Amino acid sequence: MGKSMRMLAPLAAASLAVVMSPTAAFADHANGSYQTTLDPLNGSSGSGMASITVEGDQATIDLSWSGLPETFMDAPYPHVQHIHIGAEGECPPASADKNGDGIVDTVEGAPSYGEIGTTLSVSGDTSAAAGTNIKIAPGGSSVDYHRTITLDEKTLDSLAGGTGVIVVHGLDPATLSKEAAEAKSNLVPELPLAATSPALCGALSSMPAGGVETGSGSTSGVENLGLFGVGGGLLAMAGIGLVGHRRRANAEAS
Amino acid sequence: MVRDMTVNGGRRGGLVLALVAAVIGVVLIVLAVTSQEPAPPQLDAPVGRVDATPTPTPSAEADRVRPAEEVPLGPSRPVSISIPAIGVSSELLALGKAPDGSLAVPQPGPNLDKAAWFENSPTPGQPGPAVIEGHVATEQSGPSVFFELAELRPGDKVTVERKDGSTVVFHVTALREFAKDRFPTELVYGGNVSEPTLRLITCSSFDPSIGKHTGNLVVFAELTNVRGA
Repeated sequence: MGKSMRMLAPLAAASLAVVMSPTAAFADHANGSYQTTLDPLNGSSGSGMASITVEGDQATIDLSWSGLPETFMDAPYPHVQHIHIGAEGECPPASADKNGDGIVDTVEGAPSYGEIGTTLSVSGDTSAAAGTNIKIAPGGSSVDYHRTITLDEKTLDSLAGGTGVIVVHGLDPATLSKEAAEAKSNLVPELPLAATSPALCGALSSMPAGGVETGSGSTSGVENLGLFGVGGGLLAMAGIGLVGHRRRANAEAS
Repeated sequence: MVRDMTVNGGRRGGLVLALVAAVIGVVLIVLAVTSQEPAPPQLDAPVGRVDATPTPTPSAEADRVRPAEEVPLGPSRPVSISIPAIGVSSELLALGKAPDGSLAVPQPGPNLDKAAWFENSPTPGQPGPAVIEGHVATEQSGPSVFFELAELRPGDKVTVERKDGSTVVFHVTALREFAKDRFPTELVYGGNVSEPTLRLITCSSFDPSIGKHTGNLVVFAELTNVRGA
Protein backbone atom coordinates (compact mmCIF):
# COMPACT_ATOMS: atom_id res chain seq x y z
CA MET A 1 0.00 0.00 0.00
CA GLY A 2 2.62 2.45 1.14
CA LYS A 3 4.90 1.39 -1.70
CA SER A 4 2.28 1.79 -4.43
CA MET A 5 1.34 5.22 -3.08
CA ARG A 6 4.98 6.30 -3.33
CA MET A 7 5.07 5.11 -6.93
CA LEU A 8 1.87 6.92 -7.83
CA ALA A 9 2.83 10.22 -6.24
CA PRO A 10 5.11 11.45 -9.06
CA LEU A 11 2.49 10.48 -11.62
CA ALA A 12 -0.15 12.47 -9.75
CA ALA A 13 2.18 15.46 -9.52
CA ALA A 14 2.94 15.25 -13.24
CA SER A 15 -0.71 15.14 -14.23
CA LEU A 16 -1.42 18.07 -11.90
CA ALA A 17 1.35 20.00 -13.61
CA VAL A 18 -0.19 19.29 -17.03
CA VAL A 19 -3.59 20.49 -15.84
CA MET A 20 -2.14 23.65 -14.36
CA SER A 21 0.24 24.59 -17.16
CA PRO A 22 -0.98 27.59 -19.17
CA THR A 23 -0.53 25.72 -22.45
CA ALA A 24 -2.98 23.06 -21.45
CA ALA A 25 -5.42 25.50 -19.89
CA PHE A 26 -5.46 28.03 -22.75
CA ALA A 27 -4.64 25.95 -25.81
CA ASP A 28 -7.92 26.90 -27.50
CA HIS A 29 -7.94 30.63 -26.78
CA ALA A 30 -6.94 31.54 -30.35
CA ASN A 31 -9.43 29.14 -32.01
CA GLY A 32 -11.16 30.64 -35.01
CA SER A 33 -10.49 32.14 -38.40
CA TYR A 34 -8.42 35.24 -39.16
CA GLN A 35 -8.00 37.26 -42.32
CA THR A 36 -6.06 40.13 -43.81
CA THR A 37 -5.34 41.65 -47.15
CA LEU A 38 -1.64 42.04 -47.95
CA ASP A 39 -1.20 45.63 -49.07
CA PRO A 40 1.95 47.19 -50.52
CA LEU A 41 4.49 49.00 -48.34
CA ASN A 42 7.42 51.11 -49.45
CA GLY A 43 6.12 51.65 -52.98
CA SER A 44 6.03 47.95 -53.84
CA SER A 45 3.50 46.95 -56.47
CA GLY A 46 2.29 43.68 -54.95
CA SER A 47 -1.10 42.65 -53.55
CA GLY A 48 -2.40 39.58 -51.76
CA MET A 49 -4.51 38.01 -49.04
CA ALA A 50 -4.04 35.60 -46.14
CA SER A 51 -6.43 33.55 -44.05
CA ILE A 52 -5.51 31.51 -40.98
CA THR A 53 -7.70 28.94 -39.29
CA VAL A 54 -6.56 27.99 -35.79
CA GLU A 55 -7.56 24.91 -33.82
CA GLY A 56 -5.64 24.45 -30.59
CA ASP A 57 -2.04 25.18 -31.59
CA GLN A 58 -2.51 24.02 -35.20
CA ALA A 59 -2.87 26.73 -37.82
CA THR A 60 -3.87 26.19 -41.44
CA ILE A 61 -2.42 29.07 -43.40
CA ASP A 62 -3.63 30.12 -46.86
CA LEU A 63 -1.66 32.98 -48.28
CA SER A 64 -1.37 34.34 -51.79
CA TRP A 65 0.43 37.34 -53.20
CA SER A 66 1.90 38.49 -56.45
CA GLY A 67 3.54 41.48 -58.06
CA LEU A 68 6.80 41.41 -56.05
CA PRO A 69 10.28 41.44 -57.68
CA GLU A 70 11.01 38.16 -59.44
CA THR A 71 14.76 37.69 -59.46
CA PHE A 72 17.66 38.55 -57.19
CA MET A 73 21.24 37.97 -58.36
CA ASP A 74 19.98 35.74 -61.23
CA ALA A 75 17.97 33.50 -58.88
CA PRO A 76 14.35 33.55 -57.70
CA TYR A 77 14.02 36.51 -55.30
CA PRO A 78 13.65 35.10 -51.74
CA HIS A 79 10.71 36.78 -49.99
CA VAL A 80 10.90 35.95 -46.29
CA GLN A 81 7.46 36.17 -44.66
CA HIS A 82 6.41 36.15 -41.02
CA ILE A 83 3.66 36.64 -38.50
CA HIS A 84 4.94 39.56 -36.44
CA ILE A 85 3.60 39.82 -32.89
CA GLY A 86 3.39 41.71 -29.64
CA ALA A 87 3.13 45.39 -30.66
CA GLU A 88 0.36 47.64 -31.98
CA GLY A 89 -0.95 45.09 -34.47
CA GLU A 90 -0.70 47.61 -37.30
CA CYS A 91 1.22 48.21 -40.50
CA PRO A 92 3.67 51.13 -40.17
CA PRO A 93 2.86 54.57 -41.63
CA ALA A 94 5.37 56.24 -43.98
CA SER A 95 6.34 58.50 -41.05
CA ALA A 96 8.03 55.50 -39.40
CA ASP A 97 10.99 56.12 -41.75
CA LYS A 98 13.26 57.57 -39.05
CA ASN A 99 16.49 57.85 -41.05
CA GLY A 100 14.78 59.46 -44.03
CA ASP A 101 16.13 57.07 -46.68
CA GLY A 102 12.66 56.77 -48.22
CA ILE A 103 11.77 53.33 -46.90
CA VAL A 104 10.41 51.97 -43.64
CA ASP A 105 12.86 49.15 -42.97
CA THR A 106 12.06 46.12 -40.82
CA VAL A 107 13.54 47.69 -37.66
CA GLU A 108 11.72 51.00 -38.20
CA GLY A 109 8.44 49.11 -38.65
CA ALA A 110 8.82 47.12 -35.44
CA PRO A 111 7.01 49.61 -33.12
CA SER A 112 3.89 49.05 -35.28
CA TYR A 113 4.00 45.32 -36.00
CA GLY A 114 6.44 43.96 -33.39
CA GLU A 115 8.97 41.14 -33.49
CA ILE A 116 8.84 37.95 -35.54
CA GLY A 117 6.58 35.35 -33.87
CA THR A 118 6.37 32.74 -36.61
CA THR A 119 8.23 32.32 -39.89
CA LEU A 120 5.99 31.33 -42.79
CA SER A 121 8.66 29.20 -44.45
CA VAL A 122 7.89 26.80 -47.29
CA SER A 123 9.32 23.84 -45.35
CA GLY A 124 10.95 22.96 -42.04
CA ASP A 125 11.54 25.48 -39.26
CA THR A 126 8.72 27.96 -38.62
CA SER A 127 10.21 29.55 -35.50
CA ALA A 128 11.43 33.13 -35.22
CA ALA A 129 14.97 31.73 -35.55
CA ALA A 130 14.24 30.90 -39.21
CA GLY A 131 13.21 34.51 -39.84
CA THR A 132 16.01 35.40 -42.23
CA ASN A 133 16.73 31.94 -43.64
CA ILE A 134 16.32 32.69 -47.33
CA LYS A 135 16.81 29.01 -48.23
CA ILE A 136 13.31 28.14 -46.95
CA ALA A 137 11.61 31.38 -48.00
CA PRO A 138 9.18 31.43 -50.94
CA GLY A 139 10.90 32.68 -54.09
CA GLY A 140 9.87 34.58 -57.21
CA SER A 141 7.32 37.27 -58.00
CA SER A 142 4.27 35.45 -56.64
CA VAL A 143 3.23 32.66 -54.34
CA ASP A 144 0.17 30.59 -53.53
CA TYR A 145 0.96 29.17 -50.08
CA HIS A 146 -0.94 26.53 -48.12
CA ARG A 147 0.65 25.02 -45.02
CA THR A 148 -0.50 23.63 -41.66
CA ILE A 149 1.95 24.46 -38.87
CA THR A 150 2.18 24.54 -35.09
CA LEU A 151 2.05 28.01 -33.55
CA ASP A 152 3.87 28.85 -30.32
CA GLU A 153 2.13 30.34 -27.30
CA LYS A 154 3.23 33.92 -28.01
CA THR A 155 1.93 33.87 -31.59
CA LEU A 156 -1.38 32.35 -30.42
CA ASP A 157 -1.66 35.11 -27.79
CA SER A 158 -1.10 37.82 -30.40
CA LEU A 159 -3.65 36.33 -32.81
CA ALA A 160 -6.26 36.12 -30.05
CA GLY A 161 -5.40 39.66 -28.93
CA GLY A 162 -5.63 41.12 -32.42
CA THR A 163 -1.94 42.07 -32.68
CA GLY A 164 -0.74 39.55 -35.27
CA VAL A 165 0.61 41.14 -38.48
CA ILE A 166 1.76 39.33 -41.62
CA VAL A 167 4.79 40.94 -43.27
CA VAL A 168 6.31 39.81 -46.58
CA HIS A 169 9.80 41.17 -47.26
CA GLY A 170 11.87 41.92 -50.33
CA LEU A 171 11.80 45.14 -52.36
CA ASP A 172 13.00 45.83 -55.88
CA PRO A 173 16.25 47.84 -55.46
CA ALA A 174 15.48 49.66 -58.74
CA THR A 175 12.50 51.41 -57.13
CA LEU A 176 14.50 52.70 -54.14
CA SER A 177 16.57 55.81 -53.46
CA LYS A 178 20.29 55.41 -54.29
CA GLU A 179 21.07 55.50 -50.57
CA ALA A 180 18.58 52.76 -49.73
CA ALA A 181 19.41 50.66 -52.78
CA GLU A 182 23.10 50.55 -51.83
CA ALA A 183 22.62 50.08 -48.08
CA LYS A 184 23.28 46.78 -46.32
CA SER A 185 20.56 45.12 -44.26
CA ASN A 186 20.47 46.13 -40.60
CA LEU A 187 19.36 42.55 -39.84
CA VAL A 188 21.59 40.41 -42.06
CA PRO A 189 24.69 42.45 -43.02
CA GLU A 190 25.55 40.20 -45.96
CA LEU A 191 22.19 40.99 -47.63
CA PRO A 192 21.17 44.32 -49.16
CA LEU A 193 18.68 46.44 -47.19
CA ALA A 194 16.10 45.91 -49.98
CA ALA A 195 16.01 42.15 -49.41
CA THR A 196 14.96 42.37 -45.78
CA SER A 197 12.68 45.43 -45.99
CA PRO A 198 8.90 44.98 -45.86
CA ALA A 199 7.09 44.88 -49.21
CA LEU A 200 3.59 43.70 -48.17
CA CYS A 201 1.86 44.05 -44.84
CA GLY A 202 -1.49 43.07 -43.36
CA ALA A 203 -2.89 43.26 -39.81
CA LEU A 204 -4.75 40.03 -38.97
CA SER A 205 -8.24 40.26 -37.47
CA SER A 206 -10.76 37.58 -36.62
CA MET A 207 -13.39 37.00 -39.27
CA PRO A 208 -16.85 38.31 -38.32
CA ALA A 209 -18.72 35.97 -35.96
CA GLY A 210 -21.93 34.20 -37.02
CA GLY A 211 -24.54 35.43 -39.47
CA VAL A 212 -25.20 38.97 -40.68
CA GLU A 213 -28.11 41.10 -39.38
CA THR A 214 -29.11 42.52 -42.76
CA GLY A 215 -32.83 42.74 -42.09
CA SER A 216 -34.47 44.53 -39.18
CA GLY A 217 -37.99 44.26 -40.54
CA SER A 218 -39.90 42.34 -43.16
CA THR A 219 -42.39 42.98 -45.92
CA SER A 220 -43.77 39.45 -45.68
CA GLY A 221 -46.51 40.38 -43.15
CA VAL A 222 -49.58 42.63 -43.54
CA GLU A 223 -48.61 46.33 -43.65
CA ASN A 224 -51.93 48.21 -43.90
CA LEU A 225 -53.91 46.70 -41.04
CA GLY A 226 -55.69 50.08 -40.50
CA LEU A 227 -56.99 50.32 -44.05
CA PHE A 228 -58.04 46.68 -44.05
CA GLY A 229 -59.84 47.26 -40.71
CA VAL A 230 -61.78 50.38 -41.73
CA GLY A 231 -62.67 48.95 -45.15
CA GLY A 232 -63.80 45.67 -43.62
CA GLY A 233 -65.83 47.54 -40.98
CA LEU A 234 -67.65 49.58 -43.60
CA LEU A 235 -68.44 46.45 -45.61
CA ALA A 236 -69.85 44.77 -42.51
CA MET A 237 -72.00 47.81 -41.71
CA ALA A 238 -73.26 47.87 -45.29
CA GLY A 239 -74.08 44.18 -45.04
CA ILE A 240 -76.05 44.68 -41.82
CA GLY A 241 -77.89 47.65 -43.40
CA LEU A 242 -78.81 45.63 -46.49
CA VAL A 243 -80.05 42.66 -44.48
CA GLY A 244 -82.14 45.02 -42.32
CA HIS A 245 -83.56 46.65 -45.43
CA ARG A 246 -84.59 43.35 -46.96
CA ARG A 247 -86.21 42.15 -43.70
CA ARG A 248 -88.30 45.30 -43.45
CA ALA A 249 -89.22 45.03 -47.14
CA ASN A 250 -90.22 41.37 -46.69
CA ALA A 251 -92.30 42.23 -43.57
CA GLU A 252 -94.17 44.91 -45.54
CA ALA A 253 -94.84 42.62 -48.48
CA SER A 254 -96.41 39.86 -46.34
CA MET B 1 -99.87 57.79 -46.27
CA VAL B 2 -97.56 60.58 -45.22
CA ARG B 3 -96.19 58.24 -42.56
CA ASP B 4 -95.72 55.55 -45.18
CA MET B 5 -93.76 57.90 -47.41
CA THR B 6 -91.46 58.80 -44.52
CA VAL B 7 -90.92 55.15 -43.69
CA ASN B 8 -90.30 54.32 -47.34
CA GLY B 9 -87.95 57.33 -47.75
CA GLY B 10 -86.05 56.28 -44.61
CA ARG B 11 -85.81 52.79 -45.92
CA ARG B 12 -84.42 54.02 -49.24
CA GLY B 13 -81.97 56.31 -47.39
CA GLY B 14 -80.71 53.35 -45.39
CA LEU B 15 -80.20 51.36 -48.57
CA VAL B 16 -78.21 54.20 -50.14
CA LEU B 17 -76.08 54.56 -46.98
CA ALA B 18 -75.38 50.83 -46.94
CA LEU B 19 -74.37 50.85 -50.61
CA VAL B 20 -72.10 53.89 -50.09
CA ALA B 21 -70.49 52.16 -47.10
CA ALA B 22 -70.00 49.04 -49.19
CA VAL B 23 -68.37 50.97 -52.05
CA ILE B 24 -66.03 52.89 -49.69
CA GLY B 25 -65.22 49.65 -47.89
CA VAL B 26 -64.28 47.92 -51.15
CA VAL B 27 -62.17 50.93 -52.25
CA LEU B 28 -60.28 50.96 -48.93
CA ILE B 29 -59.55 47.24 -49.11
CA VAL B 30 -58.37 47.53 -52.72
CA LEU B 31 -56.09 50.40 -51.60
CA ALA B 32 -54.78 48.31 -48.73
CA VAL B 33 -54.07 45.35 -51.01
CA THR B 34 -52.38 47.39 -53.75
CA SER B 35 -50.12 49.23 -51.28
CA GLN B 36 -49.20 45.92 -49.67
CA GLU B 37 -45.46 45.16 -50.11
CA PRO B 38 -44.72 41.77 -51.57
CA ALA B 39 -42.50 39.43 -49.57
CA PRO B 40 -38.92 39.42 -50.86
CA PRO B 41 -38.11 36.70 -53.41
CA GLN B 42 -36.78 33.55 -51.77
CA LEU B 43 -34.13 31.13 -52.93
CA ASP B 44 -35.85 27.74 -53.23
CA ALA B 45 -32.73 25.67 -53.92
CA PRO B 46 -28.97 26.26 -54.15
CA VAL B 47 -27.94 27.80 -57.49
CA GLY B 48 -24.56 27.26 -59.16
CA ARG B 49 -21.35 25.72 -57.82
CA VAL B 50 -19.21 27.03 -54.97
CA ASP B 51 -15.62 25.91 -55.41
CA ALA B 52 -14.15 28.60 -53.25
CA THR B 53 -12.97 26.56 -50.33
CA PRO B 54 -9.79 24.52 -50.13
CA THR B 55 -10.44 21.71 -47.65
CA PRO B 56 -8.17 22.29 -44.63
CA THR B 57 -6.23 19.06 -44.26
CA PRO B 58 -3.70 18.95 -41.45
CA SER B 59 -1.40 16.51 -43.26
CA ALA B 60 2.02 17.59 -44.52
CA GLU B 61 1.28 16.09 -47.97
CA ALA B 62 -1.43 18.69 -48.47
CA ASP B 63 1.04 21.54 -48.11
CA ARG B 64 1.56 23.22 -51.41
CA VAL B 65 3.51 26.20 -52.55
CA ARG B 66 3.22 27.29 -56.14
CA PRO B 67 3.30 30.61 -57.95
CA ALA B 68 0.01 32.53 -58.03
CA GLU B 69 -1.11 33.07 -61.59
CA GLU B 70 -1.80 36.72 -62.37
CA VAL B 71 -0.78 40.12 -61.14
CA PRO B 72 -3.84 41.36 -59.29
CA LEU B 73 -5.10 44.86 -58.62
CA GLY B 74 -3.81 46.71 -55.58
CA PRO B 75 -6.05 48.09 -52.85
CA SER B 76 -8.48 50.93 -53.60
CA ARG B 77 -11.63 51.66 -51.62
CA PRO B 78 -14.88 50.77 -53.46
CA VAL B 79 -17.25 53.75 -53.85
CA SER B 80 -20.36 52.37 -55.58
CA ILE B 81 -22.04 49.18 -56.77
CA SER B 82 -24.56 48.48 -59.50
CA ILE B 83 -26.44 45.27 -60.31
CA PRO B 84 -28.49 45.94 -63.47
CA ALA B 85 -30.44 42.63 -63.35
CA ILE B 86 -32.26 43.72 -60.18
CA GLY B 87 -32.05 47.49 -60.63
CA VAL B 88 -29.56 48.08 -57.80
CA SER B 89 -27.38 51.18 -57.81
CA SER B 90 -25.89 52.26 -54.50
CA GLU B 91 -23.11 54.27 -52.96
CA LEU B 92 -20.93 51.97 -50.80
CA LEU B 93 -20.31 52.51 -47.10
CA ALA B 94 -17.25 50.99 -45.41
CA LEU B 95 -18.13 49.07 -42.23
CA GLY B 96 -16.12 46.94 -39.79
CA LYS B 97 -17.21 44.62 -37.02
CA ALA B 98 -19.84 45.36 -34.36
CA PRO B 99 -18.82 45.19 -30.67
CA ASP B 100 -20.22 41.63 -30.47
CA GLY B 101 -17.82 40.51 -33.22
CA SER B 102 -20.46 40.16 -35.93
CA LEU B 103 -20.35 42.12 -39.18
CA ALA B 104 -21.62 45.68 -38.55
CA VAL B 105 -24.65 46.64 -40.70
CA PRO B 106 -26.02 50.00 -41.99
CA GLN B 107 -27.92 51.71 -39.17
CA PRO B 108 -31.22 53.67 -39.20
CA GLY B 109 -30.68 57.10 -40.75
CA PRO B 110 -29.69 58.34 -44.20
CA ASN B 111 -27.38 55.33 -44.82
CA LEU B 112 -29.82 52.56 -43.87
CA ASP B 113 -30.65 51.56 -47.43
CA LYS B 114 -27.11 51.78 -48.84
CA ALA B 115 -24.91 48.75 -49.47
CA ALA B 116 -21.73 48.42 -47.40
CA TRP B 117 -18.28 46.96 -48.08
CA PHE B 118 -16.65 45.07 -45.17
CA GLU B 119 -13.44 47.03 -44.60
CA ASN B 120 -11.34 44.03 -43.40
CA SER B 121 -12.09 42.15 -46.61
CA PRO B 122 -10.13 42.78 -49.84
CA THR B 123 -11.15 45.79 -51.87
CA PRO B 124 -13.07 44.47 -54.93
CA GLY B 125 -10.51 43.38 -57.54
CA GLN B 126 -7.81 42.50 -54.98
CA PRO B 127 -7.14 38.76 -54.46
CA GLY B 128 -9.61 37.01 -52.16
CA PRO B 129 -13.31 37.47 -51.41
CA ALA B 130 -14.47 41.09 -51.18
CA VAL B 131 -17.61 41.22 -48.99
CA ILE B 132 -20.53 43.59 -49.69
CA GLU B 133 -23.72 43.48 -47.60
CA GLY B 134 -27.11 45.20 -47.71
CA HIS B 135 -30.44 44.94 -45.93
CA VAL B 136 -33.27 42.97 -47.55
CA ALA B 137 -35.90 45.00 -45.67
CA THR B 138 -36.00 47.20 -42.60
CA GLU B 139 -38.59 48.20 -40.03
CA GLN B 140 -38.06 51.85 -40.97
CA SER B 141 -38.30 51.79 -44.76
CA GLY B 142 -39.62 48.40 -45.90
CA PRO B 143 -37.84 46.93 -48.93
CA SER B 144 -34.13 47.78 -48.89
CA VAL B 145 -31.18 47.75 -51.31
CA PHE B 146 -30.79 43.94 -51.56
CA PHE B 147 -34.56 43.16 -51.55
CA GLU B 148 -34.37 41.20 -54.82
CA LEU B 149 -30.91 39.62 -54.37
CA ALA B 150 -32.40 36.09 -54.56
CA GLU B 151 -33.47 36.82 -58.16
CA LEU B 152 -29.84 36.88 -59.35
CA ARG B 153 -28.66 33.97 -61.47
CA PRO B 154 -25.25 32.77 -62.73
CA GLY B 155 -23.94 35.13 -65.40
CA ASP B 156 -25.62 38.27 -64.01
CA LYS B 157 -23.25 41.23 -63.78
CA VAL B 158 -22.16 43.11 -60.65
CA THR B 159 -20.13 46.27 -61.24
CA VAL B 160 -18.08 48.09 -58.58
CA GLU B 161 -16.45 51.50 -59.03
CA ARG B 162 -13.22 52.04 -57.07
CA LYS B 163 -11.71 55.23 -55.75
CA ASP B 164 -8.71 54.89 -58.11
CA GLY B 165 -11.09 55.33 -61.04
CA SER B 166 -11.10 51.69 -62.09
CA THR B 167 -14.26 49.66 -62.61
CA VAL B 168 -14.28 45.97 -61.71
CA VAL B 169 -16.93 43.67 -63.19
CA PHE B 170 -17.94 40.40 -61.52
CA HIS B 171 -20.20 37.64 -62.83
CA VAL B 172 -22.48 35.73 -60.47
CA THR B 173 -21.48 32.08 -60.13
CA ALA B 174 -23.68 30.77 -57.30
CA LEU B 175 -26.34 31.55 -54.66
CA ARG B 176 -26.62 29.85 -51.28
CA GLU B 177 -28.83 30.25 -48.25
CA PHE B 178 -27.37 29.53 -44.80
CA ALA B 179 -28.96 29.42 -41.34
CA LYS B 180 -27.44 32.27 -39.31
CA ASP B 181 -26.64 29.91 -36.45
CA ARG B 182 -24.64 27.68 -38.83
CA PHE B 183 -23.03 30.42 -40.92
CA PRO B 184 -19.96 29.10 -42.84
CA THR B 185 -17.53 31.87 -41.81
CA GLU B 186 -14.44 30.40 -43.48
CA LEU B 187 -16.26 29.76 -46.78
CA VAL B 188 -17.74 33.26 -46.99
CA TYR B 189 -14.87 35.45 -45.71
CA GLY B 190 -11.95 33.17 -46.62
CA GLY B 191 -11.77 30.20 -48.95
CA ASN B 192 -9.79 30.88 -52.08
CA VAL B 193 -7.43 33.76 -51.24
CA SER B 194 -5.68 33.90 -54.61
CA GLU B 195 -8.60 34.72 -56.95
CA PRO B 196 -10.40 38.09 -56.87
CA THR B 197 -14.01 37.22 -55.98
CA LEU B 198 -17.06 38.92 -54.49
CA ARG B 199 -19.69 37.91 -51.92
CA LEU B 200 -23.02 39.74 -51.64
CA ILE B 201 -24.82 39.11 -48.35
CA THR B 202 -28.37 39.86 -47.20
CA CYS B 203 -30.97 38.34 -44.89
CA SER B 204 -33.47 35.62 -45.74
CA SER B 205 -36.08 33.36 -44.15
CA PHE B 206 -38.16 35.83 -42.12
CA ASP B 207 -39.83 34.07 -39.19
CA PRO B 208 -42.96 36.06 -38.26
CA SER B 209 -43.29 34.25 -34.93
CA ILE B 210 -40.07 35.84 -33.67
CA GLY B 211 -40.03 38.85 -36.02
CA LYS B 212 -36.53 38.01 -37.24
CA HIS B 213 -34.69 36.69 -40.28
CA THR B 214 -33.14 33.31 -39.44
CA GLY B 215 -31.00 32.96 -42.57
CA ASN B 216 -28.50 34.72 -44.79
CA LEU B 217 -28.50 34.67 -48.56
CA VAL B 218 -24.99 34.75 -50.06
CA VAL B 219 -24.30 35.46 -53.73
CA PHE B 220 -20.89 34.29 -55.02
CA ALA B 221 -19.31 36.10 -57.98
CA GLU B 222 -15.93 36.11 -59.71
CA LEU B 223 -13.95 38.88 -61.37
CA THR B 224 -14.30 38.89 -65.15
CA ASN B 225 -13.20 42.34 -66.24
CA VAL B 226 -11.24 45.40 -65.11
CA ARG B 227 -11.66 48.76 -66.82
CA GLY B 228 -9.58 51.92 -66.40
CA ALA B 229 -7.25 52.51 -63.45
